[in-house]
Amino acid sequence: MTAYRDSVAGPPDEYVEAEIHRLLTEDPAVAEQGITVVRTERALVLHGEVESAHRREEILRRVADRFPDVSITSDIGVVRAQAPTEIEQLP
Amino acid sequence: MVIRIAAVGDVHVDEDVLGRFRPALEQLAGSVDALLLAGDLTRHGTEAEARCVAREFGGLGVPVVAVLGNHDHQCDEVPQVVGALAEADITVLEGDGVVLDCPGGRLGVAGVKGFGGGFAGRCASDFGEPEMKAFVRTTTESADRLGETLRALDCDVLVALTHYAPVPDTLAGEPLEIYPFLGCYQLGQAVDSAPTALALHGHAHHGSERGTTPGGVRVRNVAHPVIKQAYSIFHLGDHLDQGEVSGVAAGGIQQPWS
Ligand SMILES: [Fe+2]
Ligand SMILES: [Fe+2]
Repeated sequence: MTAYRDSVAGPPDEYVEAEIHRLLTEDPAVAEQGITVVRTERALVLHGEVESAHRREEILRRVADRFPDVSITSDIGVVRAQAPTEIEQLP
Repeated sequence: MVIRIAAVGDVHVDEDVLGRFRPALEQLAGSVDALLLAGDLTRHGTEAEARCVAREFGGLGVPVVAVLGNHDHQCDEVPQVVGALAEADITVLEGDGVVLDCPGGRLGVAGVKGFGGGFAGRCASDFGEPEMKAFVRTTTESADRLGETLRALDCDVLVALTHYAPVPDTLAGEPLEIYPFLGCYQLGQAVDSAPTALALHGHAHHGSERGTTPGGVRVRNVAHPVIKQAYSIFHLGDHLDQGEVSGVAAGGIQQPWS
């Protein structure tokens, strides 16, 4: 990944967003393609669902390590794994 | 008679997931004829992760048939992954199929991982740089093998199982810009080249559940984050039996699952 030079303004938000998005997939500790990065005025918000609470924590830890100056909030859920309550009939 | 199928994709299993699906999976014996797994069984495609899949999805007392996904290719250990799954009697399809003798008839499942490329009018073409041609040829060859297998299977009910999507309908919810990475129309064309009853796929975690091919075949995206349950259950048949008919009368098309 590209390393940013330190500057007063910091890297443009679009590039940070792109880097985080790729980090989420390419970092072996994360390997998630289903997380969306949404830029809001105050922070970057991570949306999506993962298979365990451990993975959710790991995502936040890795992103915070890599981008300590970016404020990140998370709205990542853990996908439910109950048996279905309905059958779909396909005649 | 009815063929009963359970299906889920994108379970992305590693040690941290062990046991999460098991309580629901243990209800399958006697309730369905087969469990179909629509790829991305693991996180990185390691043999160790495949052993976790084998533990979670093996020994259910129900035939389990799978295709791999892109995640299952990440560490280049496909033969080891397939081997670990085979030890748990999980059949992995790639350009081939199986026919299962079920009480309701013979269920044929044809499977390929599939590939991206995009959908009619907005797709990649076999033209230009070698990298581009290789990409599109991967798509075409995969779809061709799916079509050939679907047309060759001798069965009563035919199901196509892929990881990548055969139609754009079930991608609704994903950004349009990434559709070419999520599926291709050639898979849909393959599904439509045979009397396919149902096409199941995964991969599009933000997609939606239901769609139809241009030829009228029903498509279901069973990616775990889309269905938000351990698996979905489909009953396929020419007619509904008595209990199911009254179920429809009482509460629409769907019936309580106990
Ligand atoms: Fe996936
Ligand atoms: Fe995938």
